[in-house]
Amino acid sequence: MATRNWWCTAIIALILSGAVPKCTAAQSTENSSSVDTIAAEIDRLIAKKWEADGNEPAGLSSDEEFIRRVFLDITGRIPPASDVRDFRDDASPDKRRRLVERLLASPTYIVHYTNLWRAAMLPEADADQQIRFFLPGFEAWLRSRLAENRNFAEIAREVLTLPVDAQDVQGFNQPETATPVAFYRAKEGKPENLAAATSRIFLGVRIECAQCHDHPFDDWKQDEFWGYAAFFAGVRPATAGMPDGPAPPPNNRSLMVPGTDRVVSARFLGGDEAEFSRTSSPRDVLADWFVSQENPFFARAAVNRIWAHHFGVGLVDPLDDFSTLNPPSHPELLDVLASAFVENGYDFKFMIRAITASRTYQLTSELTHESQDTPRSFARMPVRAMTPEQIFDSLAQAVGYRQPFNPEEALNFNNDPARQEFLETFRNEADSPTERASTILQALQLMNGEFIAGATDLTDSQTLAAVIDAPFLDTNEKVEALFLATLARGPSPVEAEKFGTYVASGGPTQDEQNALSDVFWALLNSSEFLMNH
Amino acid sequence: MLHTHTHRRDWLRLASAGVLGGSMCRWFPAFAEEAAADPKRKRACILLWMSGGPSQIDTFDPKPGHENGGEFEAIDTSVPGIQVCEHLPGVAKQMERMAIIRSMSTKEGDHTRATYLAHTGYLPQGPIRYPTLGSLFSKELGSLDADLPNFVSVAPNRFISPGAFGPGFLGPQYAPLVVGDPGVTPNPQMAEQTNLSVRNIELPEGVDFSQSDARLELLDVLETGFQESRRAMPVESHRTAYEKAVKMMRSSAVGAFKFEDEAPELRDAYGRNPFGDACLLARRLVERGVPFIEVSLNGVQGNAGIGWDTHNDNFNQVQQLCGVLDPAWSTLLEDLDGRGMLDSTLVVWMGEFGRTPGIVSDRTGRDHFPAAWSTVLCGGGIQGGQVIGASSEDGMTIVDRPVSMPDFLATLCLALGLDPQKQNMSNVGRPIRLADPEASPITEIIG
Repeated sequence: MATRNWWCTAIIALILSGAVPKCTAAQSTENSSSVDTIAAEIDRLIAKKWEADGNEPAGLSSDEEFIRRVFLDITGRIPPASDVRDFRDDASPDKRRRLVERLLASPTYIVHYTNLWRAAMLPEADADQQIRFFLPGFEAWLRSRLAENRNFAEIAREVLTLPVDAQDVQGFNQPETATPVAFYRAKEGKPENLAAATSRIFLGVRIECAQCHDHPFDDWKQDEFWGYAAFFAGVRPATAGMPDGPAPPPNNRSLMVPGTDRVVSARFLGGDEAEFSRTSSPRDVLADWFVSQENPFFARAAVNRIWAHHFGVGLVDPLDDFSTLNPPSHPELLDVLASAFVENGYDFKFMIRAITASRTYQLTSELTHESQDTPRSFARMPVRAMTPEQIFDSLAQAVGYRQPFNPEEALNFNNDPARQEFLETFRNEADSPTERASTILQALQLMNGEFIAGATDLTDSQTLAAVIDAPFLDTNEKVEALFLATLARGPSPVEAEKFGTYVASGGPTQDEQNALSDVFWALLNSSEFLMNH
Repeated sequence: MLHTHTHRRDWLRLASAGVLGGSMCRWFPAFAEEAAADPKRKRACILLWMSGGPSQIDTFDPKPGHENGGEFEAIDTSVPGIQVCEHLPGVAKQMERMAIIRSMSTKEGDHTRATYLAHTGYLPQGPIRYPTLGSLFSKELGSLDADLPNFVSVAPNRFISPGAFGPGFLGPQYAPLVVGDPGVTPNPQMAEQTNLSVRNIELPEGVDFSQSDARLELLDVLETGFQESRRAMPVESHRTAYEKAVKMMRSSAVGAFKFEDEAPELRDAYGRNPFGDACLLARRLVERGVPFIEVSLNGVQGNAGIGWDTHNDNFNQVQQLCGVLDPAWSTLLEDLDGRGMLDSTLVVWMGEFGRTPGIVSDRTGRDHFPAAWSTVLCGGGIQGGQVIGASSEDGMTIVDRPVSMPDFLATLCLALGLDPQKQNMSNVGRPIRLADPEASPITEIIG
């Protein structure tokens, strides 16, 4: 029995090798007291609201549930079956935390967080081929910053203060140079676009409605918008043809409000006109303000985004809509997290450790009481749709597909046509992860598309072939191996019975191997496989 | 034990009513009784969406003789006294089927917000997620057991205003089937040929329907277990999408997406370009009972997604756009009429706003202008051959019968035989009417 288990682990490990390095000793525990404090604060403040609202919290997640979730949240893909077995068999009490450390140290963490922040900062690349051309350079830049574990304040400052000239926002430049210049290019170098984007991404404030008129239902006034935009008045906007007229002086800090004769000067959002010397760069001044004590938005917006990555819904939701009309569900918790983020040097990994260490994060997603139905109560882990990248990378993991790129290399990263096709079909601009709508085209791609057809074809498939060919595995164990490779759990008694009988009978083709392929097909098409829960 | 959420729970009912024996699994339930419950053929709607905001003066509200009139001539139409732009000669011949509204008056000059307003009748506000017109109307006009989706959207440029094109609080079963390329990624190779087919509609090679049925039954075991323990909207939506996909795969109606049986002359008349083909597809879908089709004209080759946004080079751009619009639209009306379907099909032409009457001389452009602009309604439910409202001589203001976006959408409701005051439950637990209760529809336009 022991031999057989070993065999199975080894063969699955062989064919499903993940890119995650093994590392058994706990690392980077220097913040652990603080991580514990914040995790406890999360649990205390979330529980406080349960009590007030009458929510009955769900129980703790199983090991299988936890490992799948934390793999998806930190590395953007499901765990290899071998990892699930090892984790299940590990009896040490701190194994969840050690797993988090191991994942944070893996290159797949960097790849996943690059995807997340790229989508936030450069959404234009999803639809605009010309911007997509600059993705390798932008992603290479982001990846190198994450690899160096640069803190978020540094990353934001680099974007805000990047030297740009007309060539950068307009002409052709080297797409593979690691630089965030695509950000300026995508916003066409226009102060109003840069204002709207930086405010939304880094401050969580949608001020763009105040561009043309005072904000209809919030406090922002048109002059406040243009005052904020004036920090970018020294950037030369892209024009339709060649740049015309002289470039604005780089330290330019005032703008005319279009359609009016009012000139406004650089002014902090929700604050006063900025006083600074003529020789200072306005964008440097703005970057200083972002991380200053006076800025109420920056740290809150960042932690809210990280929270939303782990729960599918922000404490403020939509996550980039901080507004008097859209208050946070847990204001005190938002403040606690923001302070902790600042105290710990704007370190993403600190926040990830604290959130994943909380019991709130470790709750099961199983609905055990009606009062858990509202995602924003966090009384169970919300069931969330994956990002398109998570879906494809998880499929690749499950079926043993080797993506034709090295995640650590800057170039050729997103160019795999199979991957592109999935990203295209599963892109969804509209819905939040807890409200994601599936489309008929997505269903058709998974049911009939070439990729799944190959993965479930007896001659083409990797995982399936390995399971079919594995000696010592009986029918039920083969079914179990397929469950572990996709759902990171074994079959329930009902499933074991139904699927076991089906495979034994050979299904309509009277062939056990075909029947295993049918099982694999069903697993890959299941909502349990396609969701993070 | 968990029995709330009565709406969007349809599949649960279907599942529990599923056939027990045999190879029929719960993915393809019998809906015969529902179909029988709806004997009268309902109306259909085709929305021709002009992404970017078309210039009213250079299309349906010409100002000949005024300096704001621009470069184009006005031409007579089949209805005496009504003139349109010279680049719409085909449409001009069918004016008796069309009603022009020259007094659209809104306040939104931003693409994102105006597109949202025009597609939902409401401004984005707070957490309420308003459904797009196609979802709203197809829910009323369609039936859940149809072989094809009730709402097909061809090449929508969703990027400009993502929330404006989705089913909102109605939920994913009212989401559109999207086909075609929105053309926001200028790629000459792709623009050469139109692909309006539904991708992956065929079973993979080597898999027949009996094996496919067996696979779906296995999937059903997994779905039932997961749905019971992890009730959530994305899980439900997954199930809905699969049900619809399976139904469509097994229906002959999917032939709508193949044009092999169309006469070459008719295809030529529509114009062999993405918009012309999309209009032909719209007719084929209406023919097969699809109640709502949105067709986007995002631009002619080379402009990225919001072709009517003619800040620069307005006249050349509009002329090119009309060169695609005019044959497709006029052929669509004739084709629908020839098949006896125009009386029951409302065709709507609109964008998100109009464009400035004044021409910005240094770039020969017209900018965003929501204060006074035009839309057109034609076909079923519409008293054609008339103009509603009027703008001033210079086009700057409305001088007669201003029409707000809610007024306009309430008018669409009436033309489709729907009660604008009908309510749907929203995601915030408050009922929302099809059209804003303040709206006053243009009753004189209803035929």
